[in-house]
Amino acid sequence: MLQTTATLIERRVVGAHQELHLQASALARSLTPGQAVLVKAGWGSEPYLRRTFYPVGLADESWILRVPPGSDWGHAWLRAAAVGAALDCLGPVGIGFSVPAGARNLLCLGEEDPASAGWSGASAWALLPAIAQAARSGLAVTFAMEAPTPRDLIPAHRLPAAVEYHTAIRPRRPAARPGGPASIEGVPQFLPELLPWADAVLAIGSRAFYGELAATARAARYELVHGFAQILYPTAFLCGVGACQACVADLTTGRRRICQRGPVLDLLDVAG
Amino acid sequence: MTTELASHNKHSLTLAAPLLAGSGAVGYADAWPPGITAAMFGALVTSPVSWRPRRGHPPGRLAETPASFILATGDHNPGFRRVIDDHALDWRRLSVPVIMALAGSTVEDWDRIAAHLEDEPAIAGLELHVAEGARPVDVANWVSAVRRATTLPLLVKLPSAQAPALATPAIQAGADALVVGAAPLAAALTAAGTRIAGPLAGPAAFPFTLRAVAAVAGLNLPAPVIAAGGISRLADARLCFAAGAVAVQIRSLLWVDPAAAVQLAADLASR
Repeated sequence: MLQTTATLIERRVVGAHQELHLQASALARSLTPGQAVLVKAGWGSEPYLRRTFYPVGLADESWILRVPPGSDWGHAWLRAAAVGAALDCLGPVGIGFSVPAGARNLLCLGEEDPASAGWSGASAWALLPAIAQAARSGLAVTFAMEAPTPRDLIPAHRLPAAVEYHTAIRPRRPAARPGGPASIEGVPQFLPELLPWADAVLAIGSRAFYGELAATARAARYELVHGFAQILYPTAFLCGVGACQACVADLTTGRRRICQRGPVLDLLDVAG
Repeated sequence: MTTELASHNKHSLTLAAPLLAGSGAVGYADAWPPGITAAMFGALVTSPVSWRPRRGHPPGRLAETPASFILATGDHNPGFRRVIDDHALDWRRLSVPVIMALAGSTVEDWDRIAAHLEDEPAIAGLELHVAEGARPVDVANWVSAVRRATTLPLLVKLPSAQAPALATPAIQAGADALVVGAAPLAAALTAAGTRIAGPLAGPAAFPFTLRAVAAVAGLNLPAPVIAAGGISRLADARLCFAAGAVAVQIRSLLWVDPAAAVQLAADLASR
């Protein structure tokens, strides 16, 4: 992990969000898709905690953060930061996505829930760097995404041209019914067709979303094996190095620190 | 300049620097923020350990508050035996003393753990975490029990709100040094809307620390006082020294701004 100063080189307004293009070459070169960056978002001690972001764009010298709307003081401070401002960043945090060697067909799945994505910084948009890297590497990439409204979806022009893109609108997730039939709304409606095709899956969403994914994958592929699907566990970090124990989660293997085991985990870690 | 924390103990506990990594700041000396090295510190205090493993509080442990935060880990730890097995060898290779913190929620086990650690060469001392609400008689009994179980240097961390009342019984029962103090308990909502309670951490805790350090130092007890709680800059450390502390502990500063912690260590080294 590095602590470095990044320069805000560009600000773009994308709907209600802002995308901040930050330059700090050492950190940019060490980031992989799915890893987090902790940004100091204010002067002095207010707010005291860094804000967690999962970059939505990665380049050799720079990366892009997506700052949500809302009343959070740290996010508001970042939305008001001037181009040219120096931002104190810690990162990368944890383990990112890693497409298994030999995979040719990559399925990416995203659930966007703006209401819950603010604090954790986790958003389906954070799949974009992984999708771009996979497409550049020559993999066949299919991306399926669901969101509460059409404007919450990632616009198709943000994806590489070769990526096949499926979208679905699911205004409100139905209450989970243990043992009940898998959902046929949202992204799950595409999965019976896409899962048999995929060699590997990368996903970002809620734990309920991962539960649906696991149930559908078991039905579509007979069994769900370790290494087939990687998911990003949505959480915010305090120290990012395993000292504070703030980011623990109850996984199938026990209570674990996400900054050490994740934030990218195997699907079986959360939906065993 | 060195600082001796256990001048009345047959084992000395000498700090080469007046800055300590507070309890759990670097985990079990296995979780280092960028730029942070053991050489910056006079000693390291581990995360609190208990006799048996503790799962601690469920997820949703962190709540942000003005200029501070509440972290409710519930003393999550794998038990002292596992900690020793996993880390003691590495501690022996460190250039600074390692002090093992004993979780306040398991006081009935303190003397048992202390007895087991008596001959562990990787441990330079113990830090007992006295919980808020403890009575002077409790502190006297707990510290006496640990003192009988071990000759290791004994630091007692007192809740800042009660530190003046608990300091004397702790010293009379055999503590070598006092850590002042554990920040006041507070409550706030997590990002998920769950209310959690725990000690306040960060700069907002510092005024409580300073008041408690001055009050305990004013008792003129025959033991050094270490300041802990919300210290985040050189000016804070200077105030603590002026109030009577011989050393300071930092924790949240290491997590939130490691570069500032490096600067503080350098400033203290050159003072």
